[in-house]
Amino acid sequence: MSAESRKIIDSRGSFCPGPITDLFKAYRQASLGDVIELWATDPAAKADVTAWANKSGNQVVEIVDEEGYIRIVVKITKKR
Amino acid sequence: MPRQLLVLGSGTGGTLVANLLARRLEKEIIQGKVSVTLVGEGPDHYFQPANLEIAFKGVSPHKFSRPEAHLLDSKVNFVPERASKVDLRDRSVTLGEGKRISYSYMVLATGAIAKPEKMPGLMEGSFNFHTGPNDARRVWEALQNFEGGTVVVAIAGIPHKCPPSPNEAIFMLDGYFRKRGIRDKVKIKFLTPYPRAYPSEEISKVVTPLFERAEIEVHTFFNMESVDPSKRKVYSMEGEEHDYDLLIAVPPHQGADVILNSGIGDAEGWIPADRNTMNVQGYDDVYAIGDATAIPISKSGVVAHLQSRVVAHNLLSDLEGTGRRLGYNGRINCPMEVGNNRAIFVSATYSTPPVNQTPSLMKYIMKRSFGKMYWKALGGGLEWLFDLYFGSTSYPMEVTPEITKPTRGVTAKAGEAISG
Repeated sequence: MSAESRKIIDSRGSFCPGPITDLFKAYRQASLGDVIELWATDPAAKADVTAWANKSGNQVVEIVDEEGYIRIVVKITKKR
Repeated sequence: MPRQLLVLGSGTGGTLVANLLARRLEKEIIQGKVSVTLVGEGPDHYFQPANLEIAFKGVSPHKFSRPEAHLLDSKVNFVPERASKVDLRDRSVTLGEGKRISYSYMVLATGAIAKPEKMPGLMEGSFNFHTGPNDARRVWEALQNFEGGTVVVAIAGIPHKCPPSPNEAIFMLDGYFRKRGIRDKVKIKFLTPYPRAYPSEEISKVVTPLFERAEIEVHTFFNMESVDPSKRKVYSMEGEEHDYDLLIAVPPHQGADVILNSGIGDAEGWIPADRNTMNVQGYDDVYAIGDATAIPISKSGVVAHLQSRVVAHNLLSDLEGTGRRLGYNGRINCPMEVGNNRAIFVSATYSTPPVNQTPSLMKYIMKRSFGKMYWKALGGGLEWLFDLYFGSTSYPMEVTPEITKPTRGVTAKAGEAISG
């Protein structure tokens, strides 16, 4: 992923840990400033992603309830 | 020219599906209308769940391997060679020596491969029980020389084989050190990328209090970035670091080299497949089962087993032109030992998440019994018992033609129905 790019991760239809696993795979490839947009149908994804961002120092930009799924936008602001 | 059914991979799924096909097509094979060939990398078959027994209980690896040829129906042609390339458009597989095998239908059961070398420092700095029984034995040997300090159990990459295995390893380590009488000299830490002690929240509610009682330190959201063997430190992408005296890690996994080299899978070599029919996306003459797929579901023997049943049925449907196809419903059933001869079963489907439960001796006995039945089950003759056990919760639903329709890529033409 190039610097400050935006990537959509579609995890709709999978239960935890599917969405967070997909997010971490994208995080592994990401650079500081990149934006990852996670689409999930598992409601647990909201709390899991928020908890991860709070602990790791990354930023949840927005969580939007779309029709039939949740859209969670994360900005990578902390990566070793 | 007989219809050639080719199975690639000789693990649980590959062996079972080859045997199920050979049993169901006995007459057609004898008549020369169909052949079943299994290409597998090595001559031996390992019961992989036993790696925990080898690593943490010191059981001999020899108890858990059999020659693959002895596990296969006599009507299966076994080719113990490494496949180097798969060509889905040409319907052929190239073996290591350059020989090509054509197929009418193929099942990809190429598994997941643990790759410690994908994580900087992990090869040199850690032990693991996911790369085979010999490496599991090295864990046991390392434990014999360990007199005290910090043992870190870490998940270095996801997804990985057998989701409960890191938790089981910790319960077994706790038991091992207690038995040796040095538990008070050992700190056990668990580093996991997941939000809790077990990925599923309900199962975590079972595991967490047991970990607390055993004084296991759990560090969540730890996405491993590297290991420094000289400093005995492990680092996360999030900036956390931990010291260790003994590191036992679940290595990063990826799909088989043959899948990566053939451009079939995603960037990590996982094969995109229909989660119900198990058809490789875009190909109605190719199926993928077990650990090899990109389906977000446990990489475990039970999944490979249940998917083998579905694929054997659907392949017969393809051959006979009945049009009646079955779908895998996402049933998982992963046993997890939690210490003191107790176990739980992590059971779920695509639409039903795992539920909270009480660990029991009965589940522990069932887990041990499944292990003992493994070799016989691979032959395909115990399906009645699995039907009895799983009942209506696992098997397979009939799927509509819409689900079976390939969703992208080239749609290969399935063979005509066999007659007579």
